[in-house]
Amino acid sequence: MLNTQSSASAAGACRPKKSRTKSPWGSQGKVAALFLAPYLIIFTIFRFGPSVAGIFISFTKWDLAGKPVFVSFDNFKRLLTDSNFHVSLLNTLIFFVLTLPPLILFSLLLAIFLNQKMHGRNVGRAIAIIPYVLIPAVVGIIWNWMYDDNFGILNYYLKQMGSPSVHWITSSKTALASVAVVVVWTYIGYNMVLFLAGLQGIPNELYEASQIDGASKTQTFFKITLPMLKPITSMVITLTLVNTVQLFDQIYVMTNGGPGTSTLTMVQYLYTSAFQNYELGYGSTIEIAILIILVLIIWIQNRLMKSEEM
Amino acid sequence: MKKRLKSSLKYFVLVLVSAVFLFPIAWGLICSFKPEAEILSYPPHWIPKAFTASNYSEVLKKYPYLAWGQNSLITTVAGTLLILICSSLAAYAFGRFQFRGKKVLYGTVVAMLLIPIQAYVIPLYLMCAKLKLLNTLTAIILPSVANVTSIFILTSFFHSLPNELEEAARIDGCSEFRIFAQIMLPLSKPALSTVTFLTFISNWNSFLWPMIAIRDDDLKTLPVGIAQFMGTANSNAQFQYGTALAGCMMAIVPTLIVFLALQRYFVQGIASSGIKG
Repeated sequence: MLNTQSSASAAGACRPKKSRTKSPWGSQGKVAALFLAPYLIIFTIFRFGPSVAGIFISFTKWDLAGKPVFVSFDNFKRLLTDSNFHVSLLNTLIFFVLTLPPLILFSLLLAIFLNQKMHGRNVGRAIAIIPYVLIPAVVGIIWNWMYDDNFGILNYYLKQMGSPSVHWITSSKTALASVAVVVVWTYIGYNMVLFLAGLQGIPNELYEASQIDGASKTQTFFKITLPMLKPITSMVITLTLVNTVQLFDQIYVMTNGGPGTSTLTMVQYLYTSAFQNYELGYGSTIEIAILIILVLIIWIQNRLMKSEEM
Repeated sequence: MKKRLKSSLKYFVLVLVSAVFLFPIAWGLICSFKPEAEILSYPPHWIPKAFTASNYSEVLKKYPYLAWGQNSLITTVAGTLLILICSSLAAYAFGRFQFRGKKVLYGTVVAMLLIPIQAYVIPLYLMCAKLKLLNTLTAIILPSVANVTSIFILTSFFHSLPNELEEAARIDGCSEFRIFAQIMLPLSKPALSTVTFLTFISNWNSFLWPMIAIRDDDLKTLPVGIAQFMGTANSNAQFQYGTALAGCMMAIVPTLIVFLALQRYFVQGIASSGIKG
């Protein structure tokens, strides 16, 4: 920022006649305001304003047709005893536990593999990212077709191998895990890119030094590569958790929360409450709960990162 | 000998990994060219016996598919362009101007990265109802412009640019806007490409908000329309895998085009920001 200041004074020096009027917002306040205005107006109306308004709405009872009625903490009390919300919270947690280990393991292995010098590694990287950029609804339909009870290719292969077919998404026992497979498949490439950036950020001197010290490849991996990847790993964990809390598209398309409530997620429940049962106040309360969880996650991660630095 | 074995093992793994990611897409693509009777036959085979494009004509006939595609294209392109304009202007101010309250303002904007659309859809819905925007494409475009990732990426980029050019231009009496538009923007192509990619993909794939904001079938976007295929599967017998898969395959073509064109910026983008568009 120091540089900007000096250039501003240089500009002032070359145009002494049109010296900038002293404004309370600093020498470049007026120009800055003009540059910021288009974005900030839209940001305030469509993002900041609604985010703040949500807090107030969560304290009301509001049917779409009627007017909001202030109900104090009623919605929050209801949330604490709402079994559907408990289920959605538990599903989110199970989903996280199911997806995290394979996500970390596979994306790290893939990153290490595609970090080697070899032909076709850029193609490999690109292919791994494709699932992440596809429309989630499309991904859901493609997988639903593979998961089909009678004609799905997965059950066909299972039968070929002599094992009984699985009711992937039509049984409440396996539905959540089946969606988890799809989400892992979607996000491996994305996390791989993060790990690749982490691997490339490790200074070469470390490897050279360990080579001089005569460390084996395994030793180098466990003593240098893995510890150096810690910050990225913690970021991947946080992002996975955040994505799990926000999970909606795939669930909506693949199972719509079912069978029963076996794949009900928080956002799915929020959508049902607010836009199918038209309880806007209660829906906002679920939103606030989601927000609190997200803030907690980030806060804990920051604390962990800081405690490690010390 | 050992070396050759090792390198062929590497390529075997590479092919295997690629297959894992491509298999579901390839299988969907193949099945989209089979007649429904063949899709629902046992055992499945890789090469369609009766190759047909009828699923594709069917999906165009049965659903307002072209309208969905057009809506998706309009909202995505308009949204992306507006993000590029508004965000680069604002990020330029954050990255290069000196003004009071900058830290607080920038902090507030970036803090919103924490709050995903899922956490404010209801108030956003009420806001758009108030502004009489519901059930219009504007209701999809404008909220997408309040994108924070782009501000984050562009601000740090503008902040890192050297001062010499800017100073020279100032001495020549260039206005701040001309410095921005004619000197700084052309230097920002990599960062702008990253933002273009991230916002294009996130707008094109956006689902929850367009589903809530739009009621008319003709105004829906592709992801919302496509999700309906599955919805009909739950409620009535009209659902056909063939047409659904054909609809899916056409919807991913723009994604793949943008992906192939801007993929390398995407890799830089997520590596440097680590955040979903």
